[in-house]
Amino acid sequence: MSAGVGVDLEKLWIRFGDFVAVRDANVKINGGDFFSFLGPSGCGKTTILRAVSGFLEPSEGRVLIGGNDMKGIGPNKRPTALIFQNLALFPLMKVWENITFSMEIKGASAKDRRKRADELLDMIALPGQGDKLPSELSGGQRQRVAIARALCAEPDVLLLDEPLSALDLKLRQHMRTELREIQQRVGITFIYITHDQGEALTMSDNIAVMRAGVIDQIGDGKTVYNDPSTAFAASFVGENNVFRGKVKQVSGDTALISTNRSGDLLARISTANQGKMQPGDDAMLFIRPEAFALAPAGASGDHFVTATVTNEEFEGNVFNIFMEGDGGKELKVSLPNLGQSFDSHKGEAMTLQYDVQNAVALPAGELATE
Amino acid sequence: MPRFLREFFNRNGVGMGSLMLALVLFWTVGLIILPQLSMLDFSFRPNLPPPEIGGPKDVYTVENYKYLIFGPEGGSQDYNAVDLRVFYRTLIAAVFVTLFNLVLCYPIAYYLAQTKGNHIRIFALMLIIPYWINEILRAFALRIIFGETGVLNNALVGLGIFDTPFDFIRNDIALYAGLGYAYILLMIFPIYNVIESLDRNQIEAARDMGASWPMIHRRVVIPYAKPGISSGCTMVFMLSAGALAAPQILGGPSSLWFTQLIYQQFNDNSDWPQGAAYAVVLLVTCILLVLAVMRLFKVNMGDIGK
Amino acid sequence: MRSLSFMRVSIWVYLAIFFAYLLGPLVIMSITAFNSPEFPRATPWECLTFEWFAALFQDERILNGIKNSILVGAGTVVLSVAMGLAGALMLTQIWPKLRATYYTIIIAPILIPGVVIGISTLVFWDRINRMVGLGADSFLSNGLFLTVIGQSTFIASYCMLVLVARLQRYDTALTEAALDLGATHAQAFRKVLLPFMKPAIASAAVLAFLASFENYNTTTFTFGEYPTLTIELAQKVRYGITPAISALAFIIVVLTVFAALFNEANIRRKDLVAMARKDATVEELESGKFRVPGFLSSNWAAVALVVMACATVVVVGTATVYSPAQCIADVQEQKRIETELRIQELRQRRAEEAARKAAEEAETAPKPQAAPSGNNSGFGGVFSPNALTGSGEEEESKAPEAEDSNNSGFGNVFAPSGLSGD
Repeated sequence: MSAGVGVDLEKLWIRFGDFVAVRDANVKINGGDFFSFLGPSGCGKTTILRAVSGFLEPSEGRVLIGGNDMKGIGPNKRPTALIFQNLALFPLMKVWENITFSMEIKGASAKDRRKRADELLDMIALPGQGDKLPSELSGGQRQRVAIARALCAEPDVLLLDEPLSALDLKLRQHMRTELREIQQRVGITFIYITHDQGEALTMSDNIAVMRAGVIDQIGDGKTVYNDPSTAFAASFVGENNVFRGKVKQVSGDTALISTNRSGDLLARISTANQGKMQPGDDAMLFIRPEAFALAPAGASGDHFVTATVTNEEFEGNVFNIFMEGDGGKELKVSLPNLGQSFDSHKGEAMTLQYDVQNAVALPAGELATE
Repeated sequence: MPRFLREFFNRNGVGMGSLMLALVLFWTVGLIILPQLSMLDFSFRPNLPPPEIGGPKDVYTVENYKYLIFGPEGGSQDYNAVDLRVFYRTLIAAVFVTLFNLVLCYPIAYYLAQTKGNHIRIFALMLIIPYWINEILRAFALRIIFGETGVLNNALVGLGIFDTPFDFIRNDIALYAGLGYAYILLMIFPIYNVIESLDRNQIEAARDMGASWPMIHRRVVIPYAKPGISSGCTMVFMLSAGALAAPQILGGPSSLWFTQLIYQQFNDNSDWPQGAAYAVVLLVTCILLVLAVMRLFKVNMGDIGK
Repeated sequence: MRSLSFMRVSIWVYLAIFFAYLLGPLVIMSITAFNSPEFPRATPWECLTFEWFAALFQDERILNGIKNSILVGAGTVVLSVAMGLAGALMLTQIWPKLRATYYTIIIAPILIPGVVIGISTLVFWDRINRMVGLGADSFLSNGLFLTVIGQSTFIASYCMLVLVARLQRYDTALTEAALDLGATHAQAFRKVLLPFMKPAIASAAVLAFLASFENYNTTTFTFGEYPTLTIELAQKVRYGITPAISALAFIIVVLTVFAALFNEANIRRKDLVAMARKDATVEELESGKFRVPGFLSSNWAAVALVVMACATVVVVGTATVYSPAQCIADVQEQKRIETELRIQELRQRRAEEAARKAAEEAETAPKPQAAPSGNNSGFGGVFSPNALTGSGEEEESKAPEAEDSNNSGFGNVFAPSGLSGD
C-alpha cells in the first residue's frame, strides 16, 4: 500500500449565521486510511465533507491536504473527488463519457478517454456497458460508475457522502466489501460519512463519532466499540444497556456506580475519562447485550444484575432476550446461536453476570435517540 | 467585499459570475427601470427643440399633464373633452373586450383541460397556428371580411338581411371583433393551465352530490381557477388598452384609441414630452387597475407566469 | 342521458363556431390571395391567379422589411436569450428576501404596454446619446439598435419564464460534480448546464424570434430608418391594400403549418425511438444493429408533412406555367358585356326620359342640363363613381382599368359624341 495523502482538520469551526454546524474539530487522517465520520443526520458530517472538498470555506481553522493549507482553493483545484449522495451522474452523457469527464476537462483525446474508460469499467465489473446512459443502469451499477468517475480523476483523497444509503440490504453489504477492496487496491485515502455504524465498523481503519457538530471520539473500530469516550458514543455505536446513577467510589481504573434501580455495580472507567471521575458525579454504566452471561436466579457471582425474562427473539445469528429488572429497568441480552437448544425462560427470574472489563463507566451525557 | 457577493462569485466563478451580474443589471436597471424613470422625467419637461434641451428653458413643468385634462391654454373649452373621452372610452372598451374574451374562452379552456384524447393536441395546434401569423395580418384578414365588399357584407346582402352593406368598421364592431380575436390565446392558456391541475374527482364528487353544472362551475371550478382567470384577464386588459395595430387598421374615424393619441403626439406633432406624459398616464392607470383587480380577487404577482 | 348528449352536441357546436371565428379569417384571406381582383375579395371569385405572389417578390419595400426583420430578430434572440438565461440563473440563486421584488421587476415588462416600452426606450437612449455627446447619426440612435433593445426588454421576460421552468428541474449537484472533477466554472456551465438547458434554450430562441418578428407596438416607435416587415405591412394595410398582402399572409400560414407539423413529427419520432430503445436488449444496442423506426411509421404528422411538401411542389410548379391571362381576358370580356348591357339600358332610359321631357318642354323653356358632377369632359355622368358598381373604395382601382382598356372594345361607347344629351 502506498503512503497516501493525509488530511488534517485544525481547530475547524463552521458557522451559518448564528448556527454552529461544526465546533472545534481537530482530526488527523493518515494517508491511505479508510476514515469514517459516523453520526446521526444533522450532526455536521456532511458539512465537514463539503469543507474538505472545497464547497465551503470554514469560519475558523484550517483544512490541510497533504500538509498544504487549502484556504481559498476552489473545489476544482483540490486533489479531492467527491461521490455525492445522489451520485450526480451527468444524465445526458454516456457512461464512458461520465467516467472520463475529468480527462475531457484536461483536454485528452477521445481515443485515450475511451481506452481508460474501458479499463475502469473492467475494474468495477461492468465491462462493455460504456455506451449506455446512466438512466439505463440499476442503482448498484450507477454506484460503481460514480466511483469509477471519481477514481478516474486520480484524486489524492476520495470523499464519499453516504453512498450506500439508497441501496437495499444485500447490495449494501456487498458494496461495503467492494468499497473496502477498491480502497485497499488503489491505496488512496477514503473519507466516508455515514449514519450506519455497521458500515463504519466494517470498512474503516478509523472512525470519528460526531454529535451536533462536536466530535466525541476518534479511534479504530474496536476502540470505539469497546472503549467509548462519551455516553453518546456508547449508545450510538451498537446497542448498549445503560444504567444511570452516581459514582460511589473510584479506585484506580474502576469505579463503583450506585445505580438508580439495579444496586451498586462495578465498572471500568473508559480510557478517555481516567482520572476525571469523582465520587458524587452523575454517571452512566454501559454493558453490551452480548457481555451478559445468563445464569439461573440465585446464582452467585461477583458482578451481576437480577431480572425477569419478558420476551425472547430469534434473530438468526443471535438470540435476543428482553428482561425487566428491579424497578422496571429494561435490559437486553444477546446470546450467540451456536446451535444449542434453547428453552424458553419467559417469566423466569434470572441472574445476569458480567465481567468488569466489559462494563464501561462514563460521565452522564446525552444518549443517542432512536 | 460583502459576504453574499463573495459567496456568489465562489459559486459561479469570477468570469461567469460577472457576466451574469452584468447582463442582469443591464436588463433590470438599464432596460426596465431607467427608461421608465427617464420617460417619467421627460414628461415633466416642455417640448424644446434639440439645441435648447438642457438649457435655461429646460425646467420641470406639469404643463403636459395639464394639457390632457384642460386642453390647450387659452382654448375654447374648459376641459380637454376630446382626449379625455378617448381615454375613458379606451379603458371601458378594454374592460368590455376582456369580459367578452373571458366568457368566450372559459368554456374552451375548460373543455380542453378536462377532456383527454389525441384530438386535444390537434385542437391546441389549431389554436396556436393563428397566433404565429402576424397580428397585422390577422387584423387585415378581419378588415377584408368586415369591409364594405367583404364576405360578411356580401353574405348579408345576398341573403337579403340588409339592403346596403353595413358599415361594421364605422360602428366599431370590426374593432371589437378584432380585439377579441387577438388575445384569445392569452386568455385560454392561463385558464387551461390552472384547470388542468384540478382533480377531476372533485367535480365528480360534486356531481355525485347532485350539483348542477352551473353550480359546479361557480363553487368548485371558478374559485380554483381564480389565478388563471385573473392572469388571463390582466394580460388581455393590458394588451387591449395598449393595442395599437387593431385600432389603426380596424378602427373607424370615431373610435380613436388612446394609444393612437400617443402615436400622433410622437409622429405627427413631434411633441415627445406630451406623448411621454400620455404614456405615463396610460401606464399608471393600467397598473392601478391591475393592482386593484389583483387585490380584489386575492391573487399576487407570482401567479402571473405561463 | 338526453341532457348529456344535448350537452355534447352543444359543446361541439360551440367549438365549431369558435374555431370558425378563429380560423375563418385566415381561410378567407388565403382565398383572396389567389383571386384576381385588385382589391382583396373572396367573393365573387373571378380568376385563379398567382400574380400577387409575383408582385410580392418584386416589392422592394417588403423585401427590405424582411431583411430588417431578420436582422432585428437575430439580434433580439441573442440578447433576450442571454438576458433571460442570466435572469433565470440569478432567480435561483438570489437571496430569498429579495426574490419577490426581483421577480416582479423582471416580469413587469410583460405587463407594460408595448407602446410605453417603445417610447421609454426612445426617450432614454436619446438622452444618453445627448449626454455622451454623440451626434444624431450615432450607433445609439440607430433604428436597428433601438428596436433590438426595446424588443429585448420584454422578450427576455418570456425567455426567462421558459428557462426557469426547465432550470427548476436541474440538480445543482451536477454542477458541483463537474467542478469537483476539475472543471472551471465556464467549463461546468458549457459541458453540463448548457446541454441540459438546450431544449429550453431552443424553445426560448424560437419564441424570441417569432415575438420579435411580429412585434408592432414597440417597433413602431423605434424603427428609425429600418422598418421591419411588420411596419411595412402596417403601412400598406392602412394606406393601400392589395392582395399581395394576402399572398404574404398565405405564405406565412403555410410556413407556420409546416413548422407545426415538423415539430409534431419530430416529437412523435423521439417518443417512438425512446420506446424502441427501452424495449431493445443490450446486444442490439451495442452491436449497432438497433433498428430505428422508419421516418413515416405511425407518425401522422410526418405523413401530413410529406403530403404538404408534395402539394407545395405541385402548386409552385403549376404557378410558373399557369397564366391567368385567358381567364382575365374572359372576365373582362364578361364585364364589358355587362357594362355594355347596362349602358344600353341607361341609353334607353335616357331616351325615354328625353322623349318625356321633350314632351314637357314643349310647354316650358328648356333648361340647361348640367352634368351631375359638373364634368366638362363631355362624358357626362358615365364616368361618375356610382354608375358602374356600387362600391366606393374600389372604384379608384377600377376606373384606371376601364380607361386603360379602351382598346379592348369599349371604344366608341365613350366617345364624346356618344351619350350625353346635353
